[in-house]
Amino acid sequence: MPSDPDRFVRIERVTKGYGTLRALDDVSFSIDEGEIFGYIGPNGAGKTTTIKILVGILRSFEGTALVDGHDVRRELPAVQRLLGYLPQEAAFQEWRTVDHALTTFGRLSGLSRADLERRKKEVLGLLGIPEVQHRRIVQLSGGTAQKVGMAQAILHGPRLLVLDEPMAGLDPASRFQFKEVFRALARDGTTIFFSSHILSDVQDVATRVGILNRGRAVHVGTLEELKARLQVGRSVEIVLAHDSGRRPDFAARADVLGVDRFAENHLVVRLRPDADVDAAIDGFVRDLLASGCRIRSISPVSPNLEELYVRFVAGDRP
Amino acid sequence: MSLPLLFEDELRGFYRSKVMTVLWIGLPALAGFLYYLSPDTAGIPFAAFAGLIVSSIGGVLASVMLTTSILNERSRHVYDLFVVRPVRRMDILLAKFLAVYGCVVLAGALALALGIGIDYGLRGTPPAVGPTLSFLGIMLGMLAVSCSAGVLIGVAAPSVLVGVILVVYGGNQLSAVVILPVLTLSSEPWFPLLPGAGISAALLALAVVLFDRKAL
Repeated sequence: MPSDPDRFVRIERVTKGYGTLRALDDVSFSIDEGEIFGYIGPNGAGKTTTIKILVGILRSFEGTALVDGHDVRRELPAVQRLLGYLPQEAAFQEWRTVDHALTTFGRLSGLSRADLERRKKEVLGLLGIPEVQHRRIVQLSGGTAQKVGMAQAILHGPRLLVLDEPMAGLDPASRFQFKEVFRALARDGTTIFFSSHILSDVQDVATRVGILNRGRAVHVGTLEELKARLQVGRSVEIVLAHDSGRRPDFAARADVLGVDRFAENHLVVRLRPDADVDAAIDGFVRDLLASGCRIRSISPVSPNLEELYVRFVAGDRP
Repeated sequence: MSLPLLFEDELRGFYRSKVMTVLWIGLPALAGFLYYLSPDTAGIPFAAFAGLIVSSIGGVLASVMLTTSILNERSRHVYDLFVVRPVRRMDILLAKFLAVYGCVVLAGALALALGIGIDYGLRGTPPAVGPTLSFLGIMLGMLAVSCSAGVLIGVAAPSVLVGVILVVYGGNQLSAVVILPVLTLSSEPWFPLLPGAGISAALLALAVVLFDRKAL
């Protein structure tokens, strides 16, 4: 289905094959300006292929890829001027220092010498690595080198930032920092398209997600839309302070799908999609107290992206 | 225009990785060392000997350097960060070619200058201009073919090992073609430049087409 022509990024009916393998099969989605779009899928689903098409590295494919109305095949220089890109493993020549790398890529992206010096300091400060400016990149840790990769991607202030697994290999503090950078850039109007295997990171930062499986886009939308589409109900987590031994059988209730027991005093009751969560909690409290149990805590639990992802993808593995 | 920027960047890389030092000091020194060691160089001016040494050994070094550097950078996806910017893909290859060619030509010029100086010191007279220019022409032509062969093999070869084997055997033999017209047609100093420029342009054009079509 053709996407909205006003959208900043449009991938329309893109198909790409490698020999007999179909890496992408009729994939369509679009992204608004200023949006943070998380792109997820199992290994080999076609995420990197989509990204390489979008940034103009792969130019042989069927369908259309547009950035701000510019076709990535026919108007590549116009697209490149809007673009910042961090590949899965940003590789630099062995002799490069951080400063040389940023100078070269900044000047190739059109930054003037004066702007370049200012921007180098800004981005290295933003990423928390000002002290590595004159060190050779090969001597840096993997996480710091990844930050240098991020620095070259944002140095020239691109309107579209395309990142392939940007947080893989980062420690939790650095992942938190990257997510803060994403949010700050998006607030300034930068559109961010990133792939990730770390679903909690996608859930934390993405305003919309695209799920790719076996080369097909199986879902594009917000997490809430995904939950509604899958008719996923919420769950209620119950921790008991005292079990009287006469605990009510919640599984028999009409609004309950099932009960998972994690410990003697720890239950998760899965509700039907159409169940009223508040009414169900009222009922659980009433029944538990009536049976002589004492409740330590009871709270509703929303399914996370990982659960939703597994529903789409895990059962569909070859 | 990205070519001057990329060319400057390549030169900076050679400087920082000590390639320039090795070429500019190493090649003239090697020529001098081999001239001193070789028993059958009597009568051959050192300038001529240095020109031949630089053309052959310098050509092999330059082509191997280009092949291995392009293959390594391709396999590590170093070019991804370049080709997503407003950079023509052909400029990436041309910058590499020009930087390496420029460096080995300068090394050759240093070796020739050293040779002329030594010949003058030993014989009391400078070497004849005609033959010296001929060796310069042969050197420029052979080095151009070696470097362009290195670029093409770097783009086309499936692995570093295959690339090195191809460039050492194929690239060096191909560069010798430059001498053939001099032996059979004309000894004008500029004559080796014609086949040198022609073959180099063809090899580079092929490399650019392949590089443009490859997924990198």
